[in-house]
Amino acid sequence: MLRITLLFLVAHVALAQVSNQDLLNPPPENWLTYGGSYDSQRHTKLDEITPGNVKNLQAAWIFPITSTNRLQTVPLVVDGVMYVSAPNEVYALDARSGREIWQYRRANGLNRGPNRGVAVFGNLVYVGTPDAYLVALDARTGTVAWETQIAKTSDGYFSPGAPFVADGKVIAGVGGGDNGLNGWLDAYDAETGKLIWRWYTIPRPGEPGNETWAGDSWKTGGGGTWLSGSYDPELGLIYWGLGNPAPDFDGDIRKGDNLYTESVVALDLKTGKLKWHFQFTPHDVHDWDSVEIPILVDAQFNGRMRKVMAHADRNGFYYVLDRETGEFLHGTPFIDQLNWATGLTPEGRPIRVPGVEPTLTGNFVCPSTSGATNWMSPAYNPVTGLFYLAAKEGCGVSFKGRQEFRPGGFDFKATGYIESPEEPWQMYVRALDLTTGERKWEYMQVNAKSYGAGLISTASGLIFGGDDQGTFAALDARTGAPLWHFETNYRISASPISYAVNGHQYVAVAAGVNIIAFRLPDTN
Amino acid sequence: MFRAIVLIILLAAAAWAQRGVQRNTNPLGSSPEVATAGRALYNQNCTNCHGLDATAGDRAPALAAQRSYNRTSDQDLFDALTKGIPGTGMPALGLSTDDSWRIVAYIRSLRASAADFPPKGDVAQGEAIYNGKGECSTCHTIGGRGGLIGPDLTNLGARSSVRRIREALTVAKPHPPAGYRPVTVHLKDGSMVRGVLKNENNFSLQILGTDDQLHLLSSNEIERMVRDDASLMPSDYDTRLAAEELTNLLAYLSRLVR
Ligand code: HEC
Ligand code: HEC
Repeated sequence: MLRITLLFLVAHVALAQVSNQDLLNPPPENWLTYGGSYDSQRHTKLDEITPGNVKNLQAAWIFPITSTNRLQTVPLVVDGVMYVSAPNEVYALDARSGREIWQYRRANGLNRGPNRGVAVFGNLVYVGTPDAYLVALDARTGTVAWETQIAKTSDGYFSPGAPFVADGKVIAGVGGGDNGLNGWLDAYDAETGKLIWRWYTIPRPGEPGNETWAGDSWKTGGGGTWLSGSYDPELGLIYWGLGNPAPDFDGDIRKGDNLYTESVVALDLKTGKLKWHFQFTPHDVHDWDSVEIPILVDAQFNGRMRKVMAHADRNGFYYVLDRETGEFLHGTPFIDQLNWATGLTPEGRPIRVPGVEPTLTGNFVCPSTSGATNWMSPAYNPVTGLFYLAAKEGCGVSFKGRQEFRPGGFDFKATGYIESPEEPWQMYVRALDLTTGERKWEYMQVNAKSYGAGLISTASGLIFGGDDQGTFAALDARTGAPLWHFETNYRISASPISYAVNGHQYVAVAAGVNIIAFRLPDTN
Repeated sequence: MFRAIVLIILLAAAAWAQRGVQRNTNPLGSSPEVATAGRALYNQNCTNCHGLDATAGDRAPALAAQRSYNRTSDQDLFDALTKGIPGTGMPALGLSTDDSWRIVAYIRSLRASAADFPPKGDVAQGEAIYNGKGECSTCHTIGGRGGLIGPDLTNLGARSSVRRIREALTVAKPHPPAGYRPVTVHLKDGSMVRGVLKNENNFSLQILGTDDQLHLLSSNEIERMVRDDASLMPSDYDTRLAAEELTNLLAYLSRLVR
């Protein structure tokens, strides 16, 4: 017995269990949740890579995943082991070398939606699947510990978002809103996979909010939960952005505000009860999901310290809310081309411009359906006080038609949109003042017309992001000046992370078909 | 207390047995004649998408290959080809009920896993040997429980054949399979790691230790490494166990399906 103990009292033991404490206060060398920490600031405390030496940054390793050409996974790192995913697949990699430790493949998996990452807790790795299961894998072997069905596969649901672990519960959601499938959020016991609570995004008859749907339209109202969320442990509230109403483009059959689509909701983690909600686009007809990750900050607002939430919406507005109450504090556009609203009321409701709704022959709207931003995560640097995001300028033409709902996961958009070809579509990284939303700088991603990477911020004052050209770049967090770049030459659609092994800082991102990790050379 | 345990074991055994039975519900049976008729029907009706003789086709997966399947029971396969698989390119085929069952018999005959036609035996005693005398659970997991050094056996009955399982227990492999090579690594700092090699190249090693933890090593940290030629999987269960015990263990293992 003594021999065995001595044998394993060594420094190479990777993967101690991830505890609640770790999730509440993530050690800087580990990236344990989709947003890096419960406040989703995506701000690493690691500072080995600086504005001064970033020019020396180089690729340390590449790990290809060829089953998809557009990886959206956000890697997690636990004590030197990296976990990455693609639809129906999870890999454990040696985070220093990218060498594979194990892989999990879901046999005969369906091909529905992307996969945006995993969650970790204890000795388990959690992943949602295209056939709407939540699967828990042993972190050391990739063996299935349990799996539980989130939704009936034949109903057409899938689970593309990264699950979210807090206080022993795994929160998981569903995609399918564009097919008229109503969404929900589930909390499962992290150890056993047993359902603890379910909260429906579309209120049923008798529940408050159901009156915001004309007739029976709530039955096929959408409201997907396809990304991830944030959590305030002091308030015991989780925050989740919800998807669009269905049918996406035909609002005539669903008159009303269509709660809780395109809202952010605050749910009691223990019970799943709704504490408050804030709807960004009431009765939307442009498919402007509000799933964009909410960032939580404790900040001075109008002279007093407040618990705020910052959210840049696909509809083009940047919002600051009080996250205890849901009170609207401030809102302003973060794009220049916005024609559907003239501003926001004191309560934060958009002041609509009539005549930009989709029509049979098409109508011009800015931003277009692809939106002013989307699933690529924003970041916040507490030192600069700036909120950083990927923003898209450009307009589109939206059409509507009549469509019958078909159960089983079929398109229920009631037609769609085109991005007018003559428009100069343009992607930017923008830095906004947290409380005013005022633009402090912008970095134009030349020739990038469509969505690229999300962002991270570093304690040393860098912002990392990428674009649809495949350029992965480091910007000065104070000025936006580009300080380093690397050509992956394959569209980047995921958000980067940072971690450290043996005291060396790495930055990693899923770029097209590759996971790529960067670090400074040893001689640096 | 003892009686309660016996009862639980009996109930569990009954549940397993029932699962085994439920997988085989083809009203036409599983004789070679039925399967041969099914093969002809398959090659006429399914090869627009799936491949000839149930291999992978241009538009649909192989129905028989060295892999595990979502649909392993007669009824699940029957439903797939009579109702289609919603949300995928697999349509309802509109064949007669009997022809559909013939094709099912054909697909099953190609796959014939241990769980399809599980051998007789005392399943409860087999399970007791698995957890006790055989010490299997110290190295293998079933349903998330057990040791990590050996492969997961949760779905063993569905993904292996009786013959292959028996061989695993009684015939030594010439080499440990990939991912299971036992190694002992002596490090420059004087410590030692023992486990199985998950991956290696000239520059790094990824080891799952006998302590059930991962050990990620750089080659330059290593003083000396000893590789074993024999797998950690014991291959002498035909002498370690009585013939009847081995039969019962096989009966239990063959019924392991997810
Ligand atoms: C039009 C193309 C098409 C035809 C014709 C077709 N299939 Fe399929 N089949 C598919 C596709 C695509 C899938 C994969 C579905 C998925 O994504 O899970 C599939 C899946 C299956 C599966 C499920 C595989 C498993 O292990 O779970 C079975 C069983 C099956 N097909 C049987 C048949 C049989 C038998 C026939 C002929 C009688 C047939 N199919 C004809 C396209 C087709
Ligand atoms: C000391 C650890 C150890 C013990 C005890 C052990 N095994 Fe294994 N077993 C392994 C390892 C490691 C492998 C993989 C390498 C190999 O196949 O040789 C394996 C492989 C197997 C396989 C083939 C793998 C597959 O996926 O098809 C089967 C079946 C199996 N064991 C069953 C058993 C049973 C049943 C027992 C108890 C009677 C048992 N093992 C006891 C370590 C062990």
